Amino acid sequence: MKKHLKPSDMAMSADCLCPIESGDLSPLPFPYEDFNSRTISPLNPEKVKNLETSLDNTLAVGIPKPASKEEEEVLIRQFLCGLKKLFEKENNWTFLQQLLLSMEHCAKCQTCSEACPVYEMSGKKDIYRPMFRAEVLRRIYNKYLKPGGKITARLTGGIDLNWTTVARLAELSYRCTLCRRCAMACPIGVDNGLITHEIRKLFSQEMGISPKELHEKGTIQHLRVGSSTGMNPLGAKDSIEFIQEEMEEITGYKVEIPWDVEGADILLIHNAGEIISWPENVGAFAIIFQAAGLSWTLSSETAGYDAVNYGVWYDDVQLSRVALRHADIARRLKVKKIVVGECGHAHKALIETADRILTGEINIPRESALVTLEDIVLGGKLQLDPRRNDFPVTLHDPCNYVRLMGIVEPQRRILRKIAPRFREMTPHGVDNYCCGGGSGFAIMSGYNFAEWRNLVSSRKKFLQILNAFENESQAAPKYVCAPCSNCKGAIRDILSYYHAGERSSLYYGGLVELIVNAMESMKKPIIHFGDQPSWT
Amino acid sequence: MPQIELAGKIYEVDEDGFLQELDKWSEEFANAYAHAEEIEGDLTEEHWKVINYLRNYFQQFGIAPMIRKICKDLKIDMKKLYELFPTGPAKGACKLAGLSKPTGCV
Repeated sequence: MKKHLKPSDMAMSADCLCPIESGDLSPLPFPYEDFNSRTISPLNPEKVKNLETSLDNTLAVGIPKPASKEEEEVLIRQFLCGLKKLFEKENNWTFLQQLLLSMEHCAKCQTCSEACPVYEMSGKKDIYRPMFRAEVLRRIYNKYLKPGGKITARLTGGIDLNWTTVARLAELSYRCTLCRRCAMACPIGVDNGLITHEIRKLFSQEMGISPKELHEKGTIQHLRVGSSTGMNPLGAKDSIEFIQEEMEEITGYKVEIPWDVEGADILLIHNAGEIISWPENVGAFAIIFQAAGLSWTLSSETAGYDAVNYGVWYDDVQLSRVALRHADIARRLKVKKIVVGECGHAHKALIETADRILTGEINIPRESALVTLEDIVLGGKLQLDPRRNDFPVTLHDPCNYVRLMGIVEPQRRILRKIAPRFREMTPHGVDNYCCGGGSGFAIMSGYNFAEWRNLVSSRKKFLQILNAFENESQAAPKYVCAPCSNCKGAIRDILSYYHAGERSSLYYGGLVELIVNAMESMKKPIIHFGDQPSWT
Repeated sequence: MPQIELAGKIYEVDEDGFLQELDKWSEEFANAYAHAEEIEGDLTEEHWKVINYLRNYFQQFGIAPMIRKICKDLKIDMKKLYELFPTGPAKGACKLAGLSKPTGCV
């Protein structure tokens, strides 16, 4: 196996271009050294016999191998056709300018590689360099689509285009969490995260290739039944009714959760995964909004109770369909604004990216819940006793809040007021590291992909969490505040994979739970560490 | 699509062994699958109570109920639920009930 790989090696015939071997990954400290020899389990040959697995022995997409030479040629033509469209204004007006700037100006200085947690933690595997996959795309484009490209490719280093190259590139576009730390580090502003996104888009929009968790079980299911979880409107109502009862039992505070209130000031949209997996987050929002006297509502319309928009990760058409649905629901409810709950990618999709397609009366104001919460907590609308949060707290910065949107301080101003033992991770804010679950990874667990995530893409975050608490005893319960559903899912999986609950007493949750935990009107705490209440 | 053979019948499952279509489920399926989910011996009345509850809920609402809701509605505690389904309610119990693997940000 070649130690150093060049972009042209993507066309090379090999059972596995870049295996991760035992001992390759960055070492973990005490008491996690036993994980240092761990590597990704081999794929079951029976289960993957017709799939293209030759990139790095893991699968996110699982692309079937073409059955004949003719099929292979059709697929390559489709790929080139999609690639051409990425560079045409009528087909890619949304991202063409950023794409062109990034394609034309990379100086290959590798600053991006140093910024990338996947590259660093993998033991510096060349294929995971942010510029590597961009360079593969650039060379294909230059050689096959630029006039005279095949001649210049002989001089400047081309790349052969065969099915293996194409399929590996599709898989490789799902080895980057789109955290865009590389884009921020680049001295000339090249955005390799954006290029990765464009590659995913090409495969989905032109070739129908995407991970089933994002498309078939994601946006398609979301638009059809109302939620990517499969939850229909009745299911949302039943679950929320249950949460309402539970909240009173847990905290002793009676809360009523409003549905479909026409003309309310705020339509609050949660990531519906919260309803199922982190119901106390949904309950805590309701308690805070009620106690602060806000005029607000949830929506029981199809997709009105699920803020997710997986389209933002892989497909502009699906992104637009979901965003338009959200905006239209708000318009018909006649609310003054939408507040997006603790979900990072929903912030990106609905507040940021969708701004380019929401025009006229559907351009409903959209606000981050972090900002709404800051107004409530710092505006003195709640009676708070921070002594109730007398345990070490650190904050995970979801990439979409900090790096994409610049929402850095609201969550910190809240924490400084309610969590006396709050400490930062290093680095943090716009320099944060991704949880490793970004761009859909937290919900992708087919084949051995969850293992790749826990071992490689989430590894840096795990190290950061351990580091933030290094001066605390292993036995003292500690709280990782992660105000984003996707990040929470990834962090839950890290803690479970590395047995960090047992070994380091690490717990995790959102921001609203910490606020409610400090509210004087709660008779009992909402936060528990295992069976133990966080205060008595 | 992976397949498994149980009690002489072929079922389509995903790569984690979850049945693909709810209506292909049968009691024989659950009985024959129990061993793979670390349940010793035959399924008891208590197992069936959970399985039937999950199926009803899923048919009505499109999702598996929250674990706390299962416990409350069936008046059993978490410990008992894990005793019945050693691989856990989300995995073992849902698999035997023929529910598909949870999707979305859960």
